[in-house]
Amino acid sequence: MDMTSIKSTCLSGMVLLVFAAWQAAGAGTLEQVRERGKLRCGIVESSPGFSSIDDSGQRVGFDIDHCKTISAAIFGDIRIEYVPVTPHTVFTLLQSGEIDIFPDGATWSFIRDVSLGLDYTGVYLYAGQGFVVRRDTEVRSLRDLDGATICIAQGTTLEQNIADYFSANGMAYTPVTFADIDKGLQAYYADRCDAFTNERLSTAGRIANWPDRDEHLILDEVISKEPFAALVRQDDPRWRDIALWSFNVRFAAEEFGINQDNVDTVRENSPNAEIQRLLGVHGGFGEKLGLSNDWAYHIIRLVGNYNDMWERNFAPLGVKRGLNASWKDGGLHSALPFR
Amino acid sequence: MTKREIAYQVALLFIIGVVVYLVAGTTQGNLARLGVDSSIDFLWKRAGFEIGQKLIPFDANSTIARAFVVALLNTLLLAAVSIICASILGLAIGIARLSDNWLVSRLAAGYIEIFRNIPSLLQIFFWYFVVLRTLPRSSESIGFFNCIFLNNRGLFIPSVSFGQGWPWIVAALLAAWGMVYFLRRQERRQFAAPALIRPDTRRLNPLASWNLLILAGIVGAIVLLAGAQLEIPRETRFGYRGGIVMMPEFLSLVVGLSMYNATYIGEIVRSGFTSIPRGQTEAADSLGLPRRLTIRLVLFPQALRVIIPPLTTVYLNLFKSTSLAAAIAYPEVVSVFVGTVNNLVGQPVFIMAITMAVYVFISLCIALFLNWYNRKIALTVVT
Repeated sequence: MDMTSIKSTCLSGMVLLVFAAWQAAGAGTLEQVRERGKLRCGIVESSPGFSSIDDSGQRVGFDIDHCKTISAAIFGDIRIEYVPVTPHTVFTLLQSGEIDIFPDGATWSFIRDVSLGLDYTGVYLYAGQGFVVRRDTEVRSLRDLDGATICIAQGTTLEQNIADYFSANGMAYTPVTFADIDKGLQAYYADRCDAFTNERLSTAGRIANWPDRDEHLILDEVISKEPFAALVRQDDPRWRDIALWSFNVRFAAEEFGINQDNVDTVRENSPNAEIQRLLGVHGGFGEKLGLSNDWAYHIIRLVGNYNDMWERNFAPLGVKRGLNASWKDGGLHSALPFR
Repeated sequence: MTKREIAYQVALLFIIGVVVYLVAGTTQGNLARLGVDSSIDFLWKRAGFEIGQKLIPFDANSTIARAFVVALLNTLLLAAVSIICASILGLAIGIARLSDNWLVSRLAAGYIEIFRNIPSLLQIFFWYFVVLRTLPRSSESIGFFNCIFLNNRGLFIPSVSFGQGWPWIVAALLAAWGMVYFLRRQERRQFAAPALIRPDTRRLNPLASWNLLILAGIVGAIVLLAGAQLEIPRETRFGYRGGIVMMPEFLSLVVGLSMYNATYIGEIVRSGFTSIPRGQTEAADSLGLPRRLTIRLVLFPQALRVIIPPLTTVYLNLFKSTSLAAAIAYPEVVSVFVGTVNNLVGQPVFIMAITMAVYVFISLCIALFLNWYNRKIALTVVT
């Protein structure tokens, strides 16, 4: 290349960069997704129950269902580009617009909400940080862990929670901190640590198929309340509304008794005005979000209600709903009204 | 330079300045638009997390800045130990590669080809999980003399803590050593030693300095040990506690990084020795120097001049690749700062910038030191 062509390449490169930055700032997320023809959804790979690949090569899991929920609301169809992220990259990818939404277990905490330039879209799961130990260590409760070596994964509030808990109870521990959850679990399995700590549900998923699963015990106690919510960028309120209300459709559907199997029948026959508004029979609620009026119908048709998601993803791991039951059944989830 | 050339350079400088200004401005603007907090005040906040290996006192109540120092010291410790091990191993491999013994030189060549061609991250994972799986559980530790213990939680060795005033004793010893060094230099100048040819000539000048040092050393050691306390690791409910612990992560990183980089050092050493004209060896042989002394006194000093510049590159690479430690839970700068702290405060731009600046600074220090050393040992032509 001679000097002129180097210069012109540089120049056009710079112009492109500036232009791309301009465009990202200009168009709303919904328009960008529509134009692209698919949703860019950030996922954490290989977290059984939340995000994994089944025998037929399809992505399945609770997080995947969240991606599908948003895609169904926008396109009435599953059109998703899954972008694998790590806790290291996810905040940056969201801020720079590389992904449209990150549904996976990010704990909704004050600092994250107010200082990252990101917004949460409503709690969809009440999780908690738990511990798995070897039965032969005879640890039966958290108090028995004084002086233990504990494998942790970075990337969430886990490291702070454990430091807070142990110092509040006058206990000591040695952390072995991994960047990657699976490496941490592998190290625990190789007896590097006396315990492994992470979100309890996901740990249950990850150890479900260990050959010697029975030799390990997941302690009942949790040391943190982790309300999980999806993350979106803060500068697009419309997009946040879409995510929040799409997620809410699944709680509403469960409360109304609408599920994947009966949604067509209910849509045709239900006399309930709120259900009619929800399913787009009248009211024009979808349009107010910039979507088609049958957006919620597609969510329920393609993903189902909250219980459908639970039965599909967590029930096989032997995890009961507990706090995650509907308020009608003594849990914490309650749908926001569609009116 | 002509005026025209100067004008070009000024223009270039101006363009670079504008680009830097634009990038910095845009970044700051974007961060502000996204509502990302951007100041380095976070350094003085409470850390709120623990670190598994700390060379200076640290707990969750310390500041984030202190966490950074702890992590940096871990990085430096790992780099220093790995560089020493890689150099010793590399030197041995390089010399073995040149050996007249067919088997030894083939083995060295095989070692180089195998370990040079496997990515170092993979080697680190390999050593880590091999170390973890092959070492026994804590209850079945391998013990040496009932005070050193090896198990899958690490290597536990007794620690010595000295009584009060130990820094003074150490300082006195250092001063004594400095004095001896000075005296010996004077002595060498006076005798303009032909020590290179007959190292035995040194014995002809038994100045009292050596004896002085030995005496001072013995006295110092006695005083030190009198106030010293030995802490032997003892078994607790969850493995051994007390003494000095070398984490399995640290051990496997030292093994992985040393074995990988030793291949390069071996080849550099070989090239250094090969660059010396054969006549030098033959001359040494004809003087009747034993093989060991030929290498030490004739070949090595000359080879060093060829070895040092490429060796600098290897050391720099090794230093930078200590960041691979983040993959296996060794708490060094990338793991603690770019991982944990970034997660906590969510300011990737600042955190990345600080981390990169530290790497650049230390790398430059290493390079400066080795360049200085290179100039020092370079052949000076006497006119």
